[in-house]
Amino acid sequence: MGIGAYLALASVLFGIGAVGFLTRRNMLIQLMSIELMLNSANVLLLAFNRAYPGNHDGQVFAFFVIAVAAAEAAVGLAIVIAYYRVRKTIETDRATLLRY
Amino acid sequence: MTGAGATLFVVTAIFAIIGALITVAARRPLRAAMGLLVHIVSLAGMFLTLNAHLLAALQLLVYAGAIVVLFVFVIMLIGPEAETGPIEGRLVSRSTAGALTLAVFLVVATSVGGFDAAWIAVDADFGTVEGLGLAIYRNALVPFELISITLLVAIIGAIAIARSPTE
Amino acid sequence: MHEDASQQLALLLIILFPLAGAVVNGLFGRRLPRSLVGFIGVGSVTVSFILSITAFAELFALRGEGVHEAVLTYQFYEWFSLKLPSGAEVAINVRFLMDSLSGVMTLIVTGVGGLIHLYSVGYMSDDDGYPRFFSYLNLFMASMLILVLGSSLPVMFVGWEGVGLCSYLLIGYWYENRDYASAGRKAFVANRVGDFGVLIGMFILVGVVGSFEFADINAAAAQGYFRKDFMMWPFGVVPSIATVACLFLFLGCTGKSAQIPLYVWLPDAMAGPTPVSALIHAATMVTAGVYLCCRLSPLFITSDVAMSVIAVTGTLTALLAATIAVTQREMKKILAYSTVSQLGFMFAAVGVGYFAAGFFHVFTHAFFKACLFLGAGSVMHAVHAHGDADIFKLGGLKKQLPTTRWTFLVSCLAIAGVPLTSGFFSKDEILLGATAQIFRSDDSLMVAVGWFTLIGLTLAAVMTAFYMFRLYFLTFTGEYRSAGESSDGHGYDAHPHESPASMKIPLIFLGLGAIFAGYLGMPHITPFVGTHLPSWWGHWMEASVAGHALPESMNTINIASGLALAAMAIGIGSAWVLYRNKSKDVLAEKVPARLYALVFDKWRVDELYDTVIIGPIKQVATLVGRIDMTFVDALLTRLPSFNAREVGRFLSRMQNGVVHTYGMVLVIGVVSVMAMFWTPRAHVEGALEGETLQLVAAPGFGYEYRWDGDSDGEFESGWSTKRIYAPTYGPEDVRKIFLYVRSPRTGASDHYSLTEQWTRLDLARLDAAWRRTQGSLPIVARLEDGKVQLRMNGAQVFGRTDTPDVIELPTGRGTGIENVLMVPRATVEATVEVRNAFGNVSTASREMTLPDGYLPEQHALLLDATKEGSR
Repeated sequence: MGIGAYLALASVLFGIGAVGFLTRRNMLIQLMSIELMLNSANVLLLAFNRAYPGNHDGQVFAFFVIAVAAAEAAVGLAIVIAYYRVRKTIETDRATLLRY
Repeated sequence: MTGAGATLFVVTAIFAIIGALITVAARRPLRAAMGLLVHIVSLAGMFLTLNAHLLAALQLLVYAGAIVVLFVFVIMLIGPEAETGPIEGRLVSRSTAGALTLAVFLVVATSVGGFDAAWIAVDADFGTVEGLGLAIYRNALVPFELISITLLVAIIGAIAIARSPTE
Repeated sequence: MHEDASQQLALLLIILFPLAGAVVNGLFGRRLPRSLVGFIGVGSVTVSFILSITAFAELFALRGEGVHEAVLTYQFYEWFSLKLPSGAEVAINVRFLMDSLSGVMTLIVTGVGGLIHLYSVGYMSDDDGYPRFFSYLNLFMASMLILVLGSSLPVMFVGWEGVGLCSYLLIGYWYENRDYASAGRKAFVANRVGDFGVLIGMFILVGVVGSFEFADINAAAAQGYFRKDFMMWPFGVVPSIATVACLFLFLGCTGKSAQIPLYVWLPDAMAGPTPVSALIHAATMVTAGVYLCCRLSPLFITSDVAMSVIAVTGTLTALLAATIAVTQREMKKILAYSTVSQLGFMFAAVGVGYFAAGFFHVFTHAFFKACLFLGAGSVMHAVHAHGDADIFKLGGLKKQLPTTRWTFLVSCLAIAGVPLTSGFFSKDEILLGATAQIFRSDDSLMVAVGWFTLIGLTLAAVMTAFYMFRLYFLTFTGEYRSAGESSDGHGYDAHPHESPASMKIPLIFLGLGAIFAGYLGMPHITPFVGTHLPSWWGHWMEASVAGHALPESMNTINIASGLALAAMAIGIGSAWVLYRNKSKDVLAEKVPARLYALVFDKWRVDELYDTVIIGPIKQVATLVGRIDMTFVDALLTRLPSFNAREVGRFLSRMQNGVVHTYGMVLVIGVVSVMAMFWTPRAHVEGALEGETLQLVAAPGFGYEYRWDGDSDGEFESGWSTKRIYAPTYGPEDVRKIFLYVRSPRTGASDHYSLTEQWTRLDLARLDAAWRRTQGSLPIVARLEDGKVQLRMNGAQVFGRTDTPDVIELPTGRGTGIENVLMVPRATVEATVEVRNAFGNVSTASREMTLPDGYLPEQHALLLDATKEGSR
C-alpha cells in the first residue's frame, strides 16, 4: 500500500467539505466546511512529503496552513458575531447586501 | 508501511470521513462542531502514520484545542438562533451543487488515485520536533515571522470586528 | 530662393503689431479706458504703417541701385512639411516676402487701414462693443498683412481664411440683429465655396511644381511647365493644367472679390459698421482676389481660356452690378454695388492681360472708395441714420457738411473718371488694355473677348458716372427732405451737424489720395500725338507682375481715352439733367415700371439661387437627416445601447449577493477548466528540417507521445515525452500520388489525385493558349505500378520533338509539357497518439505531400526508375 490511499481519502474529504459549503446556509457550518477542505489539503501535503522525504517542505507548508486556518477562523467567527448582532440571524441567504 | 500503520490508517480514515459527514449534515451546530472534533482528532492520528509527529501535536493543539473551542464559544454566544435546518435551499440548487462537487471529486480521485509512490525509508528526525523545527527556522524564517504578524493582525481584526458598536 | 538674403525683421513686426493690438484689446479691452483702447487700435496700425514705409523705402533703394528683382524676405520658421505621392518632401515655411507688388499692397492696407481706424475712433464712439470692434479690426489687419506678405500659397491661405473670419465677425458685429447675423453667415458660406477652389488650385500647383512658393510656381510657369495636357474627370483631357488650376483659383477669387456667381454676399455685407465696409468690403479684403491673380500672373497669362473667362466674368459683373446700383436708394447699397462693379473692372483688366493696370485700379479705388464709404458714414452719423440712409430722405447737405461734401465730390469725380483725377488714369488703362487685346491678338476668340470687354466696360463706366452723381446730387444738392422729421430716434435728425475731427482728417487725406494717387500711373505722353512710354507704375510693377506690354500706338490710346471721356461725360451729364436739385426718382418714371422693379430687386439673383441651389440642397439634407435618424441611429446607437442594457440586466441578475451562487460559479469554473484538460489535444505538423522531414506534435503539460510515422497501425516508438519525430519512408509508405500542374505564363495551377484509371487533365483551364495549340485532344494521366504515366496525344515534352505517346513522369521532379509544368508528388501519412496525466488518449494523423525535389533516401527506390526518364 502506498500513498494513493491517502490521496483518495483527501479527495473524498475535500468533496465532503465542498458539498457542505455549497449546500448549507448556516454560516458556522460553512466555516467548518472550509476547515474540512483545508484539512484535506494538509493530508495531501503530508502524504506527498512522506513519499518524497528529501526535505520538509510539505510539512512546513502544512504548518503554515494550520496557522492561516487559525487566523481565518478567528476573523471569520468575528464576522459571524458582528453579522448576528446586526441581523439576529446567521443564515447566509439573508446576507445579500452586496448585490447589484 | 507496516501492518500496524495500515490498520491505523484505515481506522483513522473511517473516523475522519464519519466526522466530516456529521459536520456537514448535522442540524445543530454544536453537533457539527463535535463532528469536526472527531474528524480533526482522527486526522491527527493519521498524521502519525505519515511520520508527521510535530504536526500531529499541532493539529491537536491548534485545531482541536483552539479552533473547535472557538466555534463552540461562538455557538454558545449566539444560542438557539445558531440552529438552522440541516440542508437548506431549493432541490435544484442542492442537487446541482452535489453533482458538480461529485464531478470535481471524481476528477481529482481518478487523477491522484492512479498515482502511487513507493513507501521509502525516512531519516530518524523526519517530522520530529527537531527536524521540522530546524527546517522551519532554516528555510522558512521570513514566512514564519510573517505568519506571526498575520496572526497578530487577525487577532486585532477579530476584536475590532466583533466589538459591539455601542462600546 | 533667397534663404541667404538678410532677414528683414520689419516684415514680421508689420504683422505682429496689429496682432498684438487685437490680443490686448480682445482680452483686456473691457477693463481698459476707451481712449486707451482707441490708442492701441490706431497706434498699432500706425506703427505698422511706419514700418511698412521704411521697408518700402529699402526696397525702393534696392531698385534704385539697379537690382531689378529686388525682394525683402523674412524666414520665420518651418511650419510643416508634407510628402507628395512622387516621394518629394515639400517644406512649408512661414516666410514673408516684400516685392514691388506686395510692398504697394502693404502700404495700401496699412495706410488706408490706419486712416479708417482713426475714423472709427469717432464713428464708433457711442458703441458698447468698442474694444471688440477694435480687436476684430486689428485682427483683420494682421490677417490681411499675412495674406499680402506670405511668400507661399499656404501662408497666404492662412491670411485668406483670417480675413474671411474677420469679415464674418464684423458683418455680424451687431449680432443682436438677426438679419445682420445672417448676412455674416452668407458672406462666410459664399467664401467657403471659393476657398474650396483655392485649395484645389493649390493642390494642382504643388502637384505640378512640387513647391508652394510663389517664386517657384511663377518660374515654373515661365518655363512652360503648365502647358501639358491634363486628364480630369469627368471632362477627359483638358488643354492645359494652367487652365484648370487658374479656373479653380479664380473660383476662389470670385468668392473673396465678389464676382459672378458669388458676388451676392457683398451687398449684404453692408450690415457691418461703415468703417468695416470701407476697409474690408471696399479697399482691402475684396481686392485680395485681384492681388492673387497678380501674384500668380506668370501662371495666369499662360492660359488663354482662363484669361478669357476672367475677362468675361469681370465685364459681366461690372455691368450687372452697375445696373443694380443705378436703381438703389440707400447710400451704402449703392456704394456696395459700385464696389462689385469696380472689382469687375479690375478682373477685366487682369483678364485681358494687363495685371499692372488692374492692380493700379486696386490702388486708386482704395482711396476713392474708402473716402466715399467714410463720407457716407459721416452723412449717416450726421443725420443719426441707423444702419443705412435713404438718399431720397436726404438732400441739400452741402451746407451743413462742407468737408464731407467736398471730399465726397472729389471721390465721385475720381470714380467717374474725370481727367486728372486718379480714377481717370486707372480706368483709362483698363480700357486701353481691352483695346490693345483687339489689335494685338490674331485669335478670333481673344478678339471677341476684347471687343466684349471694351464695350461692356464702357457701358459700365457710363453707368458708374451716372449712379455716382445721382447719389451725390440727391444727397448734397436741393433741399433737406427730412427737415420736418422729429428727432425721436425713428426718423432722421432734423438738424444735421458736421462730424468730429477724427472723422474729418481721414476724409481729407483720402480725398487728396483720390486726386493725386493717379499720377503714379500717368503715362509719359503728350495727348493725341506724342509717343507712349510706360508710366512709373508700370516700371515699378514689371519686376513682380507679368503681363502684356502696353501698346505704343497712339491710335489705341486715343480710342481708349476717347471712350473713357465720352462715358464720363454722358454719365455725369445725364445725372446732372435728371437729378440735380431734384427730390424724386426721375429715372423710375421714364423706364417701364416692371423693368425698374426687377433691377431694383437686384435682378432677383438671390431668389434664383434660393430656388436652384439652396432649395434642392435643403431637401437632400432633410432626406439624409431622416435616413440618419431612422437607420444610422438605429444601427449605431439604439442597437448597441439595447444590447448593453439587456446583457447588463442579465449579468446583474447573477450578482444576487448570495454566497452560494458565487461558490457555485467558482465550482463551475473549476469543472470547466478540468474538462478542458480532460482529454489531451492531438495535433501534428510536418516540417522540412534541412534534408529530413520532421513531425512535430503540439505540446501540453504532462503529455506523452507514441509515433506511427507511416500510419500503418504499428507504432514504431513507445510512450515517451519526445514530441518531435523524424520518420523514414519507403516506397510502400506512399499513400497517393498527386499530379500538380502549373502554367508559368498565367500563374494558374491545379492538381489531380491519380488512380489506376486514366484521368483527363483539363489544361485549357490554366492557359487558354493550350486549347489553341492542342485542339480537342486531351492529355490523360494514370498511376501504373506506383509511377505516373502520361498519354500525350500529340503534346511534346518541352524542348523535345520526338516524344513517344506514353511517357512516365519522375516523382518529385518537374517536367515541362508544352507550356505547362507538371510535378507528380507523393503523399504519406503520419499518426501520433497523445496521453495526458488522466490517462486519456487522443490521436491525430496528417497527410503530407512531399515537396518538389524532396527525395528521402528510402524514397529513392520509388524514384530510381523515373530518374532516368527525366535526364
